[in-house]
Amino acid sequence: MATRVQPWQLCPAGSAGAEALATGGAASPEGPGRPGPLQDETLGVASVPSQWRGVQGIRRETRSCQTASISTAEKAAQTRKHVDAQVQTEAPVPVSVPPTSLHDDPRLAAFLRRVEAMVIRELNKNWQSHAFDGFEVNWTEQQPTVTCLHTLGYPPAQGQGLHVTSVSWNTTGSVVACAYGRLDDGDWSTLKSFVCAWNLDRRGLNPRQPSAVVEVPSAVMCLAFHPTQPSHVAGGLYSGEVLVWDVSNPEDPLLWRTGLTDDTHTDPVYQVVWLPEPRHSHRFQVLSVATDGKVLLWQGLGAGQLQLTDGFALVVQQLPRNAKLKKPPRGETEVGATAVAFSSFDPRLFVLGTEGGFPLKCSLAAEEAALTRMPSSVPLRAPAQLTFSPHGGPIYSVSCSPFHRNLFLSAGTDGHIHLYSMLQAQPLASLQLSHKYLFAVRWSPVRPLVFAAASGEGDVQLFDLQKSSQKPTVSIKQTQDESPVYCLEFNCQRTQLLAAGDAEGTVKVWQLSTEFTEQGPRETEDLEQLAAEVAT
Amino acid sequence: MTEWTNEPGLCPLRSSGPRPAGLGAQAEVEETLKRIQSHKGVIGTMVVNAEGIPIRTTLDNSTTVQYAGLLHQLTVKARSTVRDIDPQNDLTFLRIRSKKHEIMVAPDKEYLLIVIQNPCE
Repeated sequence: MATRVQPWQLCPAGSAGAEALATGGAASPEGPGRPGPLQDETLGVASVPSQWRGVQGIRRETRSCQTASISTAEKAAQTRKHVDAQVQTEAPVPVSVPPTSLHDDPRLAAFLRRVEAMVIRELNKNWQSHAFDGFEVNWTEQQPTVTCLHTLGYPPAQGQGLHVTSVSWNTTGSVVACAYGRLDDGDWSTLKSFVCAWNLDRRGLNPRQPSAVVEVPSAVMCLAFHPTQPSHVAGGLYSGEVLVWDVSNPEDPLLWRTGLTDDTHTDPVYQVVWLPEPRHSHRFQVLSVATDGKVLLWQGLGAGQLQLTDGFALVVQQLPRNAKLKKPPRGETEVGATAVAFSSFDPRLFVLGTEGGFPLKCSLAAEEAALTRMPSSVPLRAPAQLTFSPHGGPIYSVSCSPFHRNLFLSAGTDGHIHLYSMLQAQPLASLQLSHKYLFAVRWSPVRPLVFAAASGEGDVQLFDLQKSSQKPTVSIKQTQDESPVYCLEFNCQRTQLLAAGDAEGTVKVWQLSTEFTEQGPRETEDLEQLAAEVAT
Repeated sequence: MTEWTNEPGLCPLRSSGPRPAGLGAQAEVEETLKRIQSHKGVIGTMVVNAEGIPIRTTLDNSTTVQYAGLLHQLTVKARSTVRDIDPQNDLTFLRIRSKKHEIMVAPDKEYLLIVIQNPCE
């Protein structure tokens, strides 16, 4: 629409004027009373016709599609006969050989007559044969070196500066538990500490998050898993108590405790061991060893209380006098025990390591009463039968060989390892491994001539007596800053694993090379030979 | 033929002459097994019947039962292997050599004789 603009006067009100100007093109809203400067005119409509629209018509076609009809068929299946079956595992029943029947004898004799000559011939040939000399078969993949599989730690405990005082593997070999405490504290401490367990078989194992954590009111000095129950673990505290936990129950893990009675130890408990009961060999009791000189046997009763069933006390006057010992300071009559190891061949024989540095050969069946004035609800007996010649300092660990009935090792603060035979007081061999303390020594469960030692210089040393009896075969550096390694344990189910705990609060699980896990053909005989030739 | 009981104390005419059949066979069995057991390096000897049940043994019960069951199955399998390859053939002896010792099995229709030897290297 065209408009003619004519000169006009500006209105004094600015915005109103602009509005009037903007709408001025249309008919003035004020009406005809006010003659406006602009005038409206209506012109003709200008239109431009479309040039293409008439040319193109719309073409249409019809198409359709349809899915073919779906063919269906009916089938039915029915089992005609079924059988019920159930599966149930049962505890293994001890097997027995059925009694021999006398009627078979003539036929049996005839059979033996037929085969005897052939068997004797083969036995002779075998005895003289060199066919298999040096022939060895490799069934498993060879692992050439020692590698660290896991580095486990519990950050709150490490933050408190706690050390790992003890590690233990459970009966299935899949869970490793460690106890936190401090080994360099000289006085009674009330710091809270922890017992942590990691399940190595679990997917998504987080090395900083244990599968189970138990808070304990006092420092835990030692730990031992139950021999048949995969989740029960016993621990000894700095306060002298002995506790048993069930790590599979996170709500209330404490099963039994000794409490603080007259019977409890008055000094830190340095080692706990599970023993089968004398009459019911499927039930177990806990043996605890402490520096107050007492070795106590506890039985778990229903009410959560550990009851003392038997006990031994070590008194200086009652020690066998076969080895020359330093005269004890006046007034001290107790001999503090710091380590215990049971013989694998005779279940009543055990070896105690003492603060005085001399191991003691003891027996559970000892009869003599102990001359001690310590109060106890059960009469205490004197267990020592033989005193071995001492180390230069307190003994921290003893271990009996699982392959030889008379050999055991002891490690102490003088940095030496002594190999003793139960039959004589002098050690068979003495090896210096470290210039600092040695905290733990363990025989390997599969190789008769191998043992491992944890040193105060921060390494785990593996000895193979077949290769060299002077220096370690492998020395594994566990800590970077030479802080001591306090404990180590072999895994008896998975024999290539070794767990070691150190002063930084970490537990490292080492995978050993195959040379440490596969038994050679004549190792047991070599061990016997070693024991015999060193003894003479 | 008179029947003799197997209690030596009750046979007054035993000083000389042939022994009764039952007693002789038992003694012979014991002697043979003792001879085999006392051979150089032999750790254990046992006789197992056709069903895999041990009849005589010098080892403890649990070990014996384990050896008897496992070796009986293995002998049956070995025998069937030999006969499958050649039906005219049959198994005469089975030896298993392991790192620690050698197990020898002498098979028969009714019995198996198993000897475990620790050969010298």
